[in-house]
Amino acid sequence: MSYKIAVASSDGQQIDETFGSAKRFIIYEVTDGIYKRLEERNFREEETDNNGVSAADGCNSSVSCKNEGGCAGGTGGGCGGAGKASAKAELVSDCRCIVCKKIGFHIQKQLERKAISAFDVACPVEEALEKISHYFTRIDNHESLRVQK
Amino acid sequence: MAKLLDKQRYKCALGAMQTVQAITRAIPVLHSGPGCAQKLSDTTGSSGYFSPNIFPCTSINEKDVVFGGVKKLETTIENALKVIDADLYVVLTGCIPEIVGDDTGEVVSRFENAEKPVIYASTAGFKGNNYIGHEQVIDAIIDQYLEKSEEREKGLVNIWADVPYQDLFWLGNIRELEKLISEIGLTPNTIFGYNRGINQINKIPKAEFNLLVSPWVSLSNMKKMEKKLGIPYLHYPTLPIGAFETSKFLREVGKFAGIDQEKVENVINDHENYYYYLIERYADLFLENRVINKQFSVVADAQYALGITKFLANDLGLVPAKQFVVDDTPKQYREAISEEFKKLNYGLEAEAVFETDSYKIHEQIKEHDYHGYPLILGSYYEKELTESLKGNYLNIAWPVQDKVVLDDFYAGYTGGIRLIEDIYTVAVQRFN
Repeated sequence: MSYKIAVASSDGQQIDETFGSAKRFIIYEVTDGIYKRLEERNFREEETDNNGVSAADGCNSSVSCKNEGGCAGGTGGGCGGAGKASAKAELVSDCRCIVCKKIGFHIQKQLERKAISAFDVACPVEEALEKISHYFTRIDNHESLRVQK
Repeated sequence: MAKLLDKQRYKCALGAMQTVQAITRAIPVLHSGPGCAQKLSDTTGSSGYFSPNIFPCTSINEKDVVFGGVKKLETTIENALKVIDADLYVVLTGCIPEIVGDDTGEVVSRFENAEKPVIYASTAGFKGNNYIGHEQVIDAIIDQYLEKSEEREKGLVNIWADVPYQDLFWLGNIRELEKLISEIGLTPNTIFGYNRGINQINKIPKAEFNLLVSPWVSLSNMKKMEKKLGIPYLHYPTLPIGAFETSKFLREVGKFAGIDQEKVENVINDHENYYYYLIERYADLFLENRVINKQFSVVADAQYALGITKFLANDLGLVPAKQFVVDDTPKQYREAISEEFKKLNYGLEAEAVFETDSYKIHEQIKEHDYHGYPLILGSYYEKELTESLKGNYLNIAWPVQDKVVLDDFYAGYTGGIRLIEDIYTVAVQRFN
């Protein structure tokens, strides 16, 4: 069984980007507890604008809101922000979790709805991947996380 | 195979947050998931200066499971010290941080030099229930806060009884025990309830002896204090309810403390005179054998199961059926407690059943022939059952749903009278 982890890192070494500021995510694939770098996914601002949702015209245009689905659903938190974030969440929607320095409350909730965990930690990428893959392996195999002292 | 426990009668060890809450101006700092305090809090008198809704909590989540929650714990303690005006901070750990191996002791040790004392107790749910958790908190106070004292205050006695909040009558009971102890000339010291806090804790090491009134809860604490603080203890296993047991209790305490026998007898005499005056006035009610049930069962923790069984047999002359001890009493104490149930007047003996599964308890009650309708004193879970058996029912143990108790009590002479009032109030309603 394999799954993907999205990491927000500017240099590939340290987790140093917040979810909001990250321009790209490095995607790792974990198979049987062993992780390897799969690809990089870049996030382009204009993608959201093309979708017709931005702070400028988002809420005034009923059409664009409907297209996005966010405003009409009444999720709140500002159309522009939510729209942008949704697009970014879409970018990592096939991942099991994302790792970044910090993450906002609303986007974390959006990810939760897609069953994506968010870990906000500042540590080396390697360390995070070790710990996360260890955790998921235990969970998947129904093993206790209990530390034997 | 996994077992399902039907209608359990205690909480997890983290429920010891209520033990901390019972110490005035002491606050639990929880290292647990969000919602633990909410689930564990009762509405039975737990609001006030500190209440479970404002207990500082690390609210650990998935991230802390993966990466450890010690950093969050440190900032939570740090900020609790800043924003909450308390005298004692007790860090309590829930299951999750204990499972993933957070070193809570190490984090708490960083606050050794804080202005206020910060201690911690390991109260993970898988380590036991809130009776054990209560012991852990007192252990933490002994181990991490108290120091041995060379100085001893003449006549000072620390009194320890059962678990606050879990025991509905905890406040009234301990005050009544204090009152009785002071009447025979000793000075009681307790740490729970109104006006009892850090100052009383500070006095613990100066006591001449510890008095434990409980079948088993806190016995390990007494042993610890004997070893660390050099305080001997008197273990009185039965909560004294009514004249017979209370007089016996006072004699035993008086003997242990070396008090003049005549003084103790005078106190006993005064109380007994009034007690039996009341009993005598209502003798026609008690002797009317249609009013009260022939046999009874108590379904409660060891404290009430034992205390009430002795009271009903010795003072009221009722016949005990099976008695159910539901607090998951640790195995090493069970034999001694069972023996206590056999020490009844009139050659009576009661059988104690240690059982936590309500289904099994209810089946045994249904099977037993009470020679008429039963008298059941238990938790709210026994209400429906007793109704179906057309018996008399009184809610005396947790969970409590149909009774409000502020500072009522069953301990002592007065407590015995209160219990008679409660039982007969139920009994006479049958005919009126």
